[in-house]
Amino acid sequence: MLSRTLRKSLLDSRLPQKTLSPTFLLPIRARFFQTTPQHVESPPITTTTSPMNSKSPSTPRTKKSKAETPEIVPIAPPAPPAAPEVSHSIKELLPLLQAQPEHYISAHIHGQPYVVTVGDIVRLPFRMPGVLPGDVLRLDRASSLGSREYTLKGTPYLEDRLFECRARVMSVEAEPLRIKEKKKRRNRRLRTVKSKHKYTVLAIAELKINNLEDIE
Amino acid sequence: MSFFRITLTRSGIGLPKRTQGVLKALGLRTRMKTVFYPVTPEVAGQIMRVKELVTVMEVDKALTKEELRAERRPEPGFWVEKAVPR
Repeated sequence: MLSRTLRKSLLDSRLPQKTLSPTFLLPIRARFFQTTPQHVESPPITTTTSPMNSKSPSTPRTKKSKAETPEIVPIAPPAPPAAPEVSHSIKELLPLLQAQPEHYISAHIHGQPYVVTVGDIVRLPFRMPGVLPGDVLRLDRASSLGSREYTLKGTPYLEDRLFECRARVMSVEAEPLRIKEKKKRRNRRLRTVKSKHKYTVLAIAELKINNLEDIE
Repeated sequence: MSFFRITLTRSGIGLPKRTQGVLKALGLRTRMKTVFYPVTPEVAGQIMRVKELVTVMEVDKALTKEELRAERRPEPGFWVEKAVPR
């Protein structure tokens, strides 16, 4: 029975190359290449400083306050001193999951789950501070990892040594300007509030399930 | 020295003024507010008065407001592996 599932998963890994169209023709990728992004922010360091200096004398203070509170970027966690033993079911079933052709992961960024697979474009609902387009992020927190036939569920999270997931920062996108009219009762005064939020766009570059030998 | 970690899980609205006074004395103003007090008979008696409204744990160290906030904050879940030159 076990050998049959192994053979089947190996067969599956050969099949989809013929049946599926190339990735750039799949709907999500195709949309990404055809549409033009609304606003791509260039690295803010050089552009923002020069015009503001000429305009207002208050720039040194704002610059100083920025220096006092630098944008916090998570750094690589230190390696755990002694990794706990891998459970029996993981030892038995991880190779089967690894043999499957494609995988998905539900990665948690700031506690929010994103179910993604390789090649997905994720527009985060916020602007990620401290990263620039081109940065490679390592996603190390996931609650589940799976393929078409198998799913590995965390309790509540998976160990980060089981997999390697990398995302590339593509751009910073801005939504269209939103204008909201604010009016109080019994008063003609109309106040308009403008908002234009920025969002970081990530592309999932790599999703790899580690070998059992590497984990131990 | 150990501390009581007291969290108000049920509101004191609609209860006798006497009970609400105990909550006020403990500094529990809203639901899910957490306070720390050293383990003493006085505090234990106050907890007994409102034992239906609070959850109590005994901890070794009293946490500050910032530490409580950090406890609630989820992990970022990512780190910058390769940064472009900036």
